[in-house]
Amino acid sequence: MIITLWIIQLTLIPAFSPLFLGIVRKIKAKFQNRTGASIFQPYRDIGKLFRKDEVISEDASWIFRFAPYLIFAVTISIGGSIPLFTTTFADTLFNDWLVVVYLLAFSTFFLALAGMDAGSAFGGFGSSREMTLAALTEGGLLFSVLVLAFLAHSTNLFTIADTLSSLPLFSFAPVLFAFAAFLIALLAETGRFPFDNPSTHLELTMIHEAMVLEYSGKRLALLEWSAANKFLIFLSLGANIFFPWGIAFTTDLADIFLALILFFAKVGILCLFVAVLESSIAKLRFFRLPDLLFTSFILSIIAIGLIL
Amino acid sequence: MTVDQIREKYISKKYEVKQDGNVLSFQVPPEDIISVCRQLYFHPSLQLKTITATDERKAGIGFRILYAFGVPKENIFLVPFIVLNGKEEFPSLTRAIHEASIYERKIRSLFGLEPVGHPNPRPLLLHENWPSNIFPLRKDFHWQERPAEANGTYEFRKVEGEGVYEIPVGPVHAGIIEPGHFRFSVAGEEIVLLEARLGFTHKGTEKLFEVFPLGEKVTLSERVSGDSSFTHSMAFCQALENLSEIEIPKRANYVRVIFSELERLANHCNDVGFIMLDTGYSFGGTHGARLREMIMQWNERLAGSRFLRGLNCIGGITRDISDEMCGELRSALTTMRKDFSEMIEISEDSSTMLNRLEGTGKLDRQIAADHGIIGIAGRSVGLEHDARKEYPYAAYNNFDFEIAMENAGDVRARFNVRVKEIHSSFEILDQALRSMPSVKDIAADKKVEFRKNSCAVGVAEAWRGDVVYFVVTDADGKISRVDVRDPSFLNWHVLGHAGNGNVVPDFPLINKSFNLSYSGYDV
Repeated sequence: MIITLWIIQLTLIPAFSPLFLGIVRKIKAKFQNRTGASIFQPYRDIGKLFRKDEVISEDASWIFRFAPYLIFAVTISIGGSIPLFTTTFADTLFNDWLVVVYLLAFSTFFLALAGMDAGSAFGGFGSSREMTLAALTEGGLLFSVLVLAFLAHSTNLFTIADTLSSLPLFSFAPVLFAFAAFLIALLAETGRFPFDNPSTHLELTMIHEAMVLEYSGKRLALLEWSAANKFLIFLSLGANIFFPWGIAFTTDLADIFLALILFFAKVGILCLFVAVLESSIAKLRFFRLPDLLFTSFILSIIAIGLIL
Repeated sequence: MTVDQIREKYISKKYEVKQDGNVLSFQVPPEDIISVCRQLYFHPSLQLKTITATDERKAGIGFRILYAFGVPKENIFLVPFIVLNGKEEFPSLTRAIHEASIYERKIRSLFGLEPVGHPNPRPLLLHENWPSNIFPLRKDFHWQERPAEANGTYEFRKVEGEGVYEIPVGPVHAGIIEPGHFRFSVAGEEIVLLEARLGFTHKGTEKLFEVFPLGEKVTLSERVSGDSSFTHSMAFCQALENLSEIEIPKRANYVRVIFSELERLANHCNDVGFIMLDTGYSFGGTHGARLREMIMQWNERLAGSRFLRGLNCIGGITRDISDEMCGELRSALTTMRKDFSEMIEISEDSSTMLNRLEGTGKLDRQIAADHGIIGIAGRSVGLEHDARKEYPYAAYNNFDFEIAMENAGDVRARFNVRVKEIHSSFEILDQALRSMPSVKDIAADKKVEFRKNSCAVGVAEAWRGDVVYFVVTDADGKISRVDVRDPSFLNWHVLGHAGNGNVVPDFPLINKSFNLSYSGYDV
């Protein structure tokens, strides 16, 4: 039983992350009066890239070759160590919020290095922008979950989920503030509107896409897949840390099954939110982004203030 | 004003004036040309329409440089010209009239005539692999000759300083667009200098105009800039009609108005959509593209060509619009106009979108005026020029509409000019479709013969700005030179000015708000 649960926990994120990306794209297409590609298209894209040949710049160093594996490995291990549907694995991998945040920062750091590695102008551009944003996002991201950590007296994500699921409804106000802060950070970290346009072809406006512009074939597939994983990781965190209702606290089959269904429903709602947001607003001017990220930080601080 | 009054008002008595259709030409000694042009350009402030050259060495004349100035409302063009007797240089006008610079550089590159006193006579259009001593528009250059590669280098302007770096973009881009190279010198995210390098689609169009048979010349003019096919061929046909005094049937003039407004509508809708899409506002982007597609499908139905090709002929038009079709089109346009107004209303509620447009890519009015900027870019800084009003051609005299004006010069202003022009196009179309003259003829039934040793100007307002064709005939009445001036030819030179000081991620938006033609520039 435990082994089955382990397998589900480890594969849930990488197996379903392309699907949720496809769902967001489908909803966006519907908003634009288009039929849009099938929700399984991201799987096909990744599959296609895995079968393709690679071109690697002569000037690229080992960082360029190594970064995709590292980034992918980070998303897989974080995917395996956050509360998804069961609290069985409360003390196994990297369950601490601070570890999760800085593991992600570690992968961002390598992605930015890889972007600059090949020496193309766009890569350097993307990296510089990504690092600017990452540094500004860190505050909001870290503190939004620290709000919950204050409530739970622990930075262990499973303990936080546990505490919040038994939190009385009237003390939820700070959690909502923290959630708003987290949402802003989520959009910035995963390269969505109003920070970055994931579907743009304009090299000059790109952030995340500019960094991976030099990649092709298998390594690009890994990076695309990692980006999808990261998106689903953030959605899961948003769904399960802030609103942990339904997570199975036992290994009872019915509980687990219900937990999985609720997980998909909650993540689906967040996908809908992202898609609606992307369909209704324009991207912000680059120099206005810090304002928004600062708002995220302030919201977290207010939430902490409400608790203390 | 009659022609005599115009002559009296603008041209000094000491010059002998020759009238050819809509052109009043007079020879000026080379030493006087600067003061004559200056007089025309600044005192009555006539618009400089084009400067071009002809190679008439075979006829024993030598090179001629012609300067075309337009007299608004009169549809008359004053063309002072100089003859270079055996010399290969001419006095440069650039220090007196800045916008002359680009024309003189073009003449220098393609004819090998040196503008003496030009402050910056860099080559234009021709690639550095083209030998610098071969001049394609000279008559002794055969159009099929392939010179050896010269392996020259192109020098970009350099910016130096701490933290300043260069980003090369293009000529191959990520989207399906034309080729052009942009060199950004950037400090952080701010653009310090932007240099656009064009010429990658140089097709030798002006040379081909001299080579192709007459019927194919019209087809060629449709290929100068694909999205303005109809207006280009209309301007060219108008020049030829001026050269041959052919009478155009009334109905053909109305049909020409209808098609050129449909062309404007399709392109403006597309641009309005794309400007919004470049800010990431997908709602506007989708609906702009949808409206354009609806018009393109109407084009296909009416003309058999989505880009309205094969319609203009010398003396009229090849395809009529039946009265039933007129009615159907009118009701379809009413629906489209309603959709469009609704779409703009919703979009203008989006503060994030408008915030991206406002203050971005601001073009200074004086810079625009000095570069002779026309069309949308000109009207967005308050330069009130519209060939439909100034040189009323086809049936434009019969319709009531306003020139769309804005003053701010930013992306928002260019966006607004387009929105206003879409509304005025709908109005013109409605008026034209209601009042189509009920004659059968759509093309003059007469053999085309051109005046000998003559010249003519054809002007038409394409959606970007006015297109100018300058056509010269030789002693046999054959077309010996066609000069094409697409609006993009002038407007490309201020894109850098509009981009400076903005952040790099805003550049695609600024570029889109101009949406200039590479092909029209490179001819």
